[in-house]
Amino acid sequence: MAISLLNPKAEVARAAQALAVNISAAKGIQDVMKSNLGPKGTMKMLVSGAGDIKITKDGNVLLHEMQIQHPTASLIARASTAQDDMTGDGTTSTVLVIGELLKQADIYISEGLHPRILAEGFDKARAKALEVLEKIKIPVEASRESLMDVCKTSLRTKVHQKLADVLAEVCVDGILAIKQGDKPVDLHMVELMEMQHKTEADTSLVKGIVMDHGCRHPDMPKQLKNAYILTCNVSMEYEKSEVNSGFFYKTAEEREKMVTAERDFIMQRVRKVVELKKKLCDGTDKSFAVINQKGIDPMSLDMLAKEGIMALRRAKRRNMERLALACGGVAVNSLDDLNESHLGYAGLVYEHVLGENKYTFVEECKVPQSVTILMKAPNKHTLLQIRDAVRDGLRAINNAIEDKAVIPGAGAFEVAANKELLAFKDTVKGKARLGVAAYAEALLVIPKVLATNSGFDAQDTIVKLQEESRLNPDPVGVDLTSGEPVNPKDAGIFDNYIVKKQIINSCSVIASNLILVDEIMRAGMSSLKG
Amino acid sequence: MGTREILTLQFGQYSNFIGTHWWNLQEAGFTYKSDDISEINHDTLYREGVSPRREVTFTPRLLSVDLRDGLKALPEVGELYGGLQLPSTSELNWNENAVEVKKEDCDDKSQFLKDLAGASNVEEVLNKDYDFERDVTVWSDYLYSRFHPRTVNVVKQFEYGNVNTPFDVFPLGKEVWKTEQFEEDFTDKIRNYVEECDSFQGFHMLTDCTNAFAGMSSSCLEYLQDEYERKSVLVFPVIPSHFPDNDYETEKERQDSLMSDSIRLMNLALSYNAYNEFSSLFIPLCTSEKGFRQPGLKRSFHNTEYNHKLPYHSSAILASALDTFTLKHRLKTSGFNLVDLCVDLNMVGRKCASASLCFPFCINKNVDLIDCLDQWDGPLTKSITPSCEIGTDRQMQHITIRGIPESRLKGPPHNAEKQRDLPAFKCKTVSEMLTFYYQCTQYASATNVTSVQKALPVKTPFPKFFNQKLDFTGNFTNSEQLSKPESIPVLAGLHTGAEIGVMLEKLHTETRKIKFKRFNAFISGGIENDDFEECLDNIFTLRENYEDNYFL
Repeated sequence: MAISLLNPKAEVARAAQALAVNISAAKGIQDVMKSNLGPKGTMKMLVSGAGDIKITKDGNVLLHEMQIQHPTASLIARASTAQDDMTGDGTTSTVLVIGELLKQADIYISEGLHPRILAEGFDKARAKALEVLEKIKIPVEASRESLMDVCKTSLRTKVHQKLADVLAEVCVDGILAIKQGDKPVDLHMVELMEMQHKTEADTSLVKGIVMDHGCRHPDMPKQLKNAYILTCNVSMEYEKSEVNSGFFYKTAEEREKMVTAERDFIMQRVRKVVELKKKLCDGTDKSFAVINQKGIDPMSLDMLAKEGIMALRRAKRRNMERLALACGGVAVNSLDDLNESHLGYAGLVYEHVLGENKYTFVEECKVPQSVTILMKAPNKHTLLQIRDAVRDGLRAINNAIEDKAVIPGAGAFEVAANKELLAFKDTVKGKARLGVAAYAEALLVIPKVLATNSGFDAQDTIVKLQEESRLNPDPVGVDLTSGEPVNPKDAGIFDNYIVKKQIINSCSVIASNLILVDEIMRAGMSSLKG
Repeated sequence: MGTREILTLQFGQYSNFIGTHWWNLQEAGFTYKSDDISEINHDTLYREGVSPRREVTFTPRLLSVDLRDGLKALPEVGELYGGLQLPSTSELNWNENAVEVKKEDCDDKSQFLKDLAGASNVEEVLNKDYDFERDVTVWSDYLYSRFHPRTVNVVKQFEYGNVNTPFDVFPLGKEVWKTEQFEEDFTDKIRNYVEECDSFQGFHMLTDCTNAFAGMSSSCLEYLQDEYERKSVLVFPVIPSHFPDNDYETEKERQDSLMSDSIRLMNLALSYNAYNEFSSLFIPLCTSEKGFRQPGLKRSFHNTEYNHKLPYHSSAILASALDTFTLKHRLKTSGFNLVDLCVDLNMVGRKCASASLCFPFCINKNVDLIDCLDQWDGPLTKSITPSCEIGTDRQMQHITIRGIPESRLKGPPHNAEKQRDLPAFKCKTVSEMLTFYYQCTQYASATNVTSVQKALPVKTPFPKFFNQKLDFTGNFTNSEQLSKPESIPVLAGLHTGAEIGVMLEKLHTETRKIKFKRFNAFISGGIENDDFEECLDNIFTLRENYEDNYFL
């Protein structure tokens, strides 16, 4: 009220009207996203006015690409993408469940039920659903097979099946390579490298590091075997310093002297590397590579090239850490007291040139604890699609390792929760039970949409699933090729536990908040609404 | 000397407007004849590459950032490296019935772009006249240069004209910088560019400083300082010469406009503070007099009638200035580096400098430079730094003049007549004469003059806003000319002196008046009242560096 006194021009929508606004927004965004769910969902090709192409069926990517003007819709979108930020999956499901919860709520509220009571019911149902989730989860070891299942399930909803299987294998092997005992896996230690080349099926795992640059000297070796790897963060380029520029030095000699002294300082550094190389490699079949985070100027390159040293400049900061993990050794910040123990080892270092881009492969490391997923595709938009998929795949695997459990997929959880919630409803006193009923119904949106997207009748499928689940204590999901009930365990369809848990929590909270809104105001400068 | 490369960064729409003109006019100046060797080393700002079709490309070494919708007909990846063919549905490996194609309306290309795309002879297009004043809504409408696929970066989260989520406050830009798109991909692109260079010398950064791009560029600078600590960064914060919301009609619009002015001023203060901390030198640019709180009256230039409400016009003037005063460290012959420029001007912590321009350099047809300077009334150049005039004494300055060939310096000795009586007659070169001019007109100043033969090319798509009396080389004549100027002489300068202190003080006083606590968007973005106070104090301290009663 207050704001309308202060600012009579503020637009205000109240009570029923406010709810209607929120519900229609939630429905709207649900409609857009609905068709993407599951492995049979539609692929969307977005073409911008200027011709930029984006191909995706990942809910998270879509929400980022879409222009959402409606404030409620953008709130839902943000909540859903936050879901993805946390767990790497489940964006589309979040949007669908929120939309459905609001739709169900609409029915009861229009019959006069107070939103507050409904929200109470939602909260009870949420707690119960989490219980069901605990009951239904299947503990797993971090074995290759079980991780493959989870990863494949997640990836098949994002790319076509053949590619999903290739990527799943790459991702699982990648994670297993860097996993050390029970320590949490640092996903950053899996480097993702893109190459616009060949086809997407050529995407592979490199047990070592691939860098997107090569050496910048024509005489440097393009391939090394048995190589010592020196990773360092030491500038090897002469730079005019501030004191020798401008007005300070008037005579040419004075200035020249200064320059020579500084130049010599850099040469000293390079000489140290050269000396170490001579000491370790001369007379053996070993070779030497320098990977520097800082610059190396042509003169220094020249000195190194004369010694047959391969040198790379301006390496990615994070690659310093990765290289040390992949090849052993440490990344040094100074070349003083440099010795063999600082160096890493790689059996093979070679350069690959692709158009104007150079790539350097560091392979055949002894115990690589950092690996690279080399993504290949003939064009940019496919590369992007693969990159999004690989990231999600890695997250899915990591989730499964951390949860030490998975959830049977294909809508099995939703069907089971629906059954349990309907039974639970009768134990709830008062009108709040209506909220539980609404919640139970809303969860079914997942199997329904899965069925619809595969070309089956939603009601038909649900009835079949519910019948089957009454008879069968095992989890029951929908088989998307036949439309019949199936045990997801047998079909190898598993979802992440954490993803489902997040969906239950965030959807309930957001839906409750949205139905409790009884006034929407748009007033003043939008930038002032904190 | 080999090439000492520079990477250019452009943040924001107005910066891109200026940048577009800058790249256009550089490319208009390319010569492909082997006998006509350019004095300018284009490799400094451009890079050579190879497209997948194995064609050699020559593209700006540039990273540009804009919002969604800021590009219109320009694809993000550019056309040069291919990749814009729509894949057929079978290539997608997906059930053909389950592929949805969502095609946005093809934005109308401007006539210029259409002609350029279809032209067999590009020269023809560049000699035609277009109604750019009406056609241009975004910078890509008059973009002649072609970009590397790395160049264009779009902030997807924000778009122009969305009142629900405007990209208007400093912390928003900092937030966007923290996303993966910038913290990982964008910094990787910087690294890729720098890695290619053999003797990289530093960065040119053009940035909007009145909206959230101010925050983004500040974060970027912080990163550059961290990762490339010994490289110079020359920053040009730019302020548009006109904001549409300043033309209010109703009371509500007036209130909104006041509010926007405050926000812009706060962004400005916060960004100046960051530039002061992390850049080597920063030079604010604007074609209007005040810049803050409102841009104020437009600065007028002789023989140029520009419409300051059109960014297409005002940005062209700033681009000309940029191209001219950066010439010194882009010449083939000089050993002068970006770091030299910065060190000359930022002594005793004077991180902020001002710029001035004489556009075009008004010289009458068939008149020698000596006579022109002799008869010159008033200061040579006009300031293009907002709220800052160019002082007449105790200046440290770099002046660049272009388009005055040595042959026009003075008359031949046997035919010099009155010129002999002028003391400047002893000067043998253009730069010597200008240095002498400055020595005579200014007190206790250090002036370094560079003279470049090549005039500024102003062919299409450069705006045609010149006086009709300029001939095709930009010289002033007494009658209206049929042909429009194709190139013009320009004089531009970079200065540092006490006047900048005055500007900083004005900025400080204006910003002090704002009640920071009323601006929730800043506070919720993570800027505390104390941070803001500290920023203002820093600006005040910076001002003290310009008080020169300590020395001289």
